[in-house]
Amino acid sequence: MASNPNTLSATRRDFVTALQAGDGSRAMQLCRVLLAEDSRLPQLSFIVRETGKIPRGKLGLRNLKIALLSSFSIEFIKLPLTVLCFLNGMDAEIYLPGFGQFQQEIRNQNSGLYTFKPDVVVLSVEGTDWLPEIYTSYLDRLSGGFDHVVSSFHEELASLIESFREGSKAILLVNNFVPPVWRQLGILDGQAEMGQAQLVHKMNELLSSICRKNPGVMVVDYAGLVLRFGALRWYDERMGHYAKAPISADMLLPLAGEYVKYFRAVIGQTKKCLVLDLDNTLWGGVLGEDGPAGIQLDSVYPGSAYLAFQREILNLHKRGILLAIASKNNMADVEEVFIQNTNMLLKKEHFASLQIHWGHKSESLQQIARQLNIGLEHLVFVDDNPAECAEVLRALPMVTTVTLPQQPEHFVRSLLEDGLFDGLIFSQEDRQRGDLYRQRAEAEVLRERSGSLEDFYRSLEMVMTFAPMDRTSLARSAQLTQKTNQFNLTTIRFSESDLAERSTDPDWLLTTVNVRDRYGDNGIVGFMMARFDSEALDIETFLLSCRVIGRTVETAMLAFLCQQASRRGIQLLRGRVVPTAKNAPSRDLFLKHAFQKAEGKESGETVWTFDLSKGSVDWPAWINVITGEPAISKQ
Amino acid sequence: MEQQVRQVMADILGVEPDSIDVSTAKDSTAAWDSLNHINLVVALEQEFQTSFDVSEIESMLTFSDILETLERKLQR
Repeated sequence: MASNPNTLSATRRDFVTALQAGDGSRAMQLCRVLLAEDSRLPQLSFIVRETGKIPRGKLGLRNLKIALLSSFSIEFIKLPLTVLCFLNGMDAEIYLPGFGQFQQEIRNQNSGLYTFKPDVVVLSVEGTDWLPEIYTSYLDRLSGGFDHVVSSFHEELASLIESFREGSKAILLVNNFVPPVWRQLGILDGQAEMGQAQLVHKMNELLSSICRKNPGVMVVDYAGLVLRFGALRWYDERMGHYAKAPISADMLLPLAGEYVKYFRAVIGQTKKCLVLDLDNTLWGGVLGEDGPAGIQLDSVYPGSAYLAFQREILNLHKRGILLAIASKNNMADVEEVFIQNTNMLLKKEHFASLQIHWGHKSESLQQIARQLNIGLEHLVFVDDNPAECAEVLRALPMVTTVTLPQQPEHFVRSLLEDGLFDGLIFSQEDRQRGDLYRQRAEAEVLRERSGSLEDFYRSLEMVMTFAPMDRTSLARSAQLTQKTNQFNLTTIRFSESDLAERSTDPDWLLTTVNVRDRYGDNGIVGFMMARFDSEALDIETFLLSCRVIGRTVETAMLAFLCQQASRRGIQLLRGRVVPTAKNAPSRDLFLKHAFQKAEGKESGETVWTFDLSKGSVDWPAWINVITGEPAISKQ
Repeated sequence: MEQQVRQVMADILGVEPDSIDVSTAKDSTAAWDSLNHINLVVALEQEFQTSFDVSEIESMLTFSDILETLERKLQR
């Protein structure tokens, strides 16, 4: 039955459109948005239904046959599991035998399990069902001891695995056991020689060792998962009794997520390289503005949170994950941090590639992939700026992006919760990988989709407000002239009183630039000062915060100046560029906008002019411009 | 509230929201089997931030049953 488009939200509509067009990557991205908007059951049901309408193979997904064996009603995990598989490029085909049949399905070589020919088999059995002697009838057994319980479990599991292997080469995932929520000995359980908790731990150790001995059989740390969420939240006694479905509906998505970590590793989709931004990612603050000693990275919050994040990243490095940097910064500044800032846990040698320049992050990622000779689908890109992540997603949909949350104390969770780097093996080579990296064998050229850059600018939904500097924006404007180094044509510093004085002079044009985009209000991020003389509008100060570089904001600013000049009947725009060690990103501004070079001084300073009678700088079509309203300052 | 219930049922059962009326019942709707009944109950609990006891779960077998039960529950 076709979904009525009128009742669908915009995201749902786009999702259906992408599916029907066979655009798998876009559909997966939109699925992620849908889940961020609402991850409850109706949404999951919608997603599964819509993806189910598309013929197999049309979306370029990897088929994965999953058998779910359980001692309870595990079918309720089908919806979240199917959705999360889809999100990870997999088309889940799920086999579910009759209730409580897991032993029979495995031991009977003619069962539906083997006919299905699964790729992965999940054995999800609760402790209470497999080991009633330890759970329900514990007190009755206490006097007799538990040695025979241990040995018969050992035999049973070993023979089950043997039977399984006779009929299938699939990966077998086995849940371990959760200690009973309510202990029959109450507070004595922890201290008792054979307390229930200890017995369960013993069983779990046994389970681990048996799995270790059997290739392709893996333990799922179900106990650890339940611990993370809390047993009281994890289990739903009512549904446990009523529908034999003991797991809370809200916990099915995390459970599915845990299994998907294994599935990803099984199909070889483990991520191999973590690519990191620098500013407000590895440290607090902006290096270009705060200097190598001014970034936040020490024992006091928020610096301590960034340090904790660096520590986890270092752990990944020790696990064999390659690290790389993709940052819009000056290389010299970054070098200084590595040399000068003794708080840095991550050293330059930990990084297999350093892409530090002013080009797009997607370019950096392509370079990194080429340099390290790994596929783009093996990269994870982490940045605090959602616009950067969006740019990467648009150009390179196969890269996994992680947009960091606002508070740095939550970075570690964002990095680790999806188990992106979890693999099935941890080898000696993994341990050493960080020390060596492979040079690329040959160049691999990835062609950007045509027009994607403009699409990206458009997708940012930028709204720029140009306003005369006033009392409320005075402080921010002065601050910008003092702190901005990279996109600053002349790097002249002004105090608040300097600017206040200038603002009374009618020949001076002092303009603040506010940029809002779909991710929020960036506040005042640009500032220009130009002076009218008899024949020209002379641009003395023109600067932009690094946060909005690379989005044609500067083009709009020049267009504004052209407009202001024309309104006063002035035909000439004039500007200067004073090169410094840090302002490389802005030096070719006038060249790029078809200004004529009028003068080149020995100091390296250049003067440029634009003849307005011959034309003007065009407004970028993708920016919504508001002029003349009072400045809205975030500061 | 009625619109919310319609949308939840539409998503879970795969039917058009407008096609749901007082006659829509578990017995007469193909997709409304015991598995989807539990899904429906859970979805309504998530939507209305409430919790049904077993007798309520067993009695919500038609669209009007659901509306009645919710009205009672949300008034309290």
